[in-house]
Amino acid sequence: MEKAIERQRVLLHHLQPLPPSSSSHASLSASACLAGDSAAYQRTSLYGDDVVIVAAQRTALCKAKRGSFKDTYPDELLAPVLRAVIEKTKLDPSEVGDIVVGNVLGSGSQKATEFRMAAFYAGFPDTVPIRTVNRQCSSGLQAVADVAAAIKAGFYDIGIGAGLESMTTSPRGWKGSVNPKVKKFEQAQSCLLPMGITSENVAHRFGVSREEQDQAAVDSHRKAASATASGKFKDEITPVNTRIVDPKTGEEKPITVTVDDGIRPSTTLSGLAKLKPVFKKDGSTTAGNSSQVSDGAGAVLLMKRSVAMQKGLPILGVFRTFAAVGVDPSVMGIGPAAAIPAAVKAAGLELDDIDLFEINEAFASQFVYCRNKLGLDPEKINVNGGAIAIGHPLGATGARCVATLLHEMKRRGKDCRFGVVSMCIGSGMGAAGVFERGDSVDELSNVRKVE
Amino acid sequence: MPVFKAPFNGYSVKFSPFYESRLAVATAQNFGILGNGKIHVLELSPGPPGVTESVSFDTADAVYDVSWSESHESVLVAAIGDGSVKIYDTSLPPPSNPIRSFQEHAREVHSVDYNPTRRDSFLTASWDDTVKLWAMDRPASVRTFKEHAYCVYQAVWNPKHGDVFASASGDCTLRIWDVREPGSTMIIPGHDFEILSCDWNKYDDCVLATSSVDKTIKVWDVRSYRVPVAVLNGHGYAVRKVKFSPHRRSLIASCSYDMSVCLWDYMVEDALVGRYDHHTEFAVGIDMSVLVEGLMASTGWDELVYVWQQGMDPRAS
Repeated sequence: MEKAIERQRVLLHHLQPLPPSSSSHASLSASACLAGDSAAYQRTSLYGDDVVIVAAQRTALCKAKRGSFKDTYPDELLAPVLRAVIEKTKLDPSEVGDIVVGNVLGSGSQKATEFRMAAFYAGFPDTVPIRTVNRQCSSGLQAVADVAAAIKAGFYDIGIGAGLESMTTSPRGWKGSVNPKVKKFEQAQSCLLPMGITSENVAHRFGVSREEQDQAAVDSHRKAASATASGKFKDEITPVNTRIVDPKTGEEKPITVTVDDGIRPSTTLSGLAKLKPVFKKDGSTTAGNSSQVSDGAGAVLLMKRSVAMQKGLPILGVFRTFAAVGVDPSVMGIGPAAAIPAAVKAAGLELDDIDLFEINEAFASQFVYCRNKLGLDPEKINVNGGAIAIGHPLGATGARCVATLLHEMKRRGKDCRFGVVSMCIGSGMGAAGVFERGDSVDELSNVRKVE
Repeated sequence: MPVFKAPFNGYSVKFSPFYESRLAVATAQNFGILGNGKIHVLELSPGPPGVTESVSFDTADAVYDVSWSESHESVLVAAIGDGSVKIYDTSLPPPSNPIRSFQEHAREVHSVDYNPTRRDSFLTASWDDTVKLWAMDRPASVRTFKEHAYCVYQAVWNPKHGDVFASASGDCTLRIWDVREPGSTMIIPGHDFEILSCDWNKYDDCVLATSSVDKTIKVWDVRSYRVPVAVLNGHGYAVRKVKFSPHRRSLIASCSYDMSVCLWDYMVEDALVGRYDHHTEFAVGIDMSVLVEGLMASTGWDELVYVWQQGMDPRAS
């Protein structure tokens, strides 16, 4: 560091015409700038010890209980994406140091066993371990962050961060009785609020109108429909071969699911305006401007950069930072507004440096609030639609967003360098991760077009 | 015109003396203050994209300068921030490079210049106040020239006399040396402020130019060095590098912390004959092709390397 200060001193003298023998005070000094603590120019890429993403895949997201996955076992949703990231990279599955799967609903122990079974279905040998993580709606992102952290810590070099939610099969709701003590702790009590009520709270407390919310829903469907129509999701969606039972005839037939089935291109403001609020009589949160209840899975293959380079794998993205921040449980939807600045700051960046956002649309109310609160450019957020159109399979959403973000950044090329994935978390939290576009996803030419 | 975007900040650019389409670029992370360095070898091509990288070499510290060998077409020498001098064979892949590394300078090596007449040796100038003379086949430096009292920013061989060179230092002097003599043969206290760069006229072996933190370029004749032959005013900040044209006797190119690249004719009254504002950060590296008349290259802290024909807009595509 002393060397750097000395170098800076020599260079500053060039800008400040004083003979080197003079000892007068400097009128010019170096100050912290956009490069922050040099974070935008991490020293690690040469040493190869930063964590990169070489594959990110997801299943299509389908409506719970009615969609294409209504008769699919949860482990059969997870296995295809686990297999896909291995097949995409031609990696030997025995080299994977750990698989971490985000999951929210259902019995933790049963899920952990189910996932272990899914790994076998996907072709992993028994030597590869697997575990679950539950940070509610950010579980998928938390899984990716956990793997990145473990790689940084040196526990292993290659890992998979995944997410799965089968909202068809997993019941929601509280088991057993609630500790009566909760009445004495207002914020603990707020943790028990239905998510829809917290959405109404956000809309009410921060003045997000019904029109704004419905508009966000229309935009989400429009963008998702156009992304699907133009085949943008093809790269990130792993087809799932499964079966579906016809509810009328009881006939079972095999299907291959490749598209999200919740997107309604025909959604209009006037159509949404007719819907009644679900959670509160005079409220503004409707089925139309809330996220969909879905089934789906996602998986992200991470490894140390040196390993990726040694294997000659194209680097899709670089994992930069992750932050989870708590907020008042009664307005849990504001989580991203707290978490995004924290994660971006930790990356040594500023909000303006971020070129693309995937912010989970749990509810249009909280999505609109976070967007406005942070003053983000709507053109940079959920460019291919969000959970209102595509769906929100709780534990899978984080992994789904990482896949969508990185594939979009790849399409956008060099001009799209940093991206953020963020979501609110039930019981009052927000999580956000900062990703950098991989440097080897462009064609072998780094010449900038000059106007 | 071809533009190359480097991952790090540009520090120096040099045309190959053997191939008109080849050039080498020295770059450093974080403006050369802290971090890695990278050397890029670029190939110009007639069609788009105009320039492609043929090979690059990573270094653990900033690369401040490169110089092509005058005897081997694929060899280049790099001046590294950690005080080392490294030799690369660009025909070999990165794992086989560098082919040689000399660790003698106590501080940042800021310039390197291959001897164009004897073709067997090169000079390095360092912030440790010394200039060192090296020969390819020697395991250590041949000689160390220690007279300057502050950073030596550049040392350049005379284009005619294989034993004579000049050195520019932050101690505000320009010194002329003959390697056969024990000490410097001439001391020119050329500027009141740090001298950052110097170069010899390619047609008159007695004329040289210096550039300084005082924003000026001065042209000197060693036969009457008390007063400069010309003083070129026009840059708004320190002039980082100065370079005589290999094709026109009185033409000088310069680049500056004012972000511009300028062309001067020191023999006419309105000396400033061209100004290029294509860089968006400090312009610190410049070169003129020996093989193609009028072909110029520049680099700067905006991470861009421009190659263009004199009189054209470097940004025009």
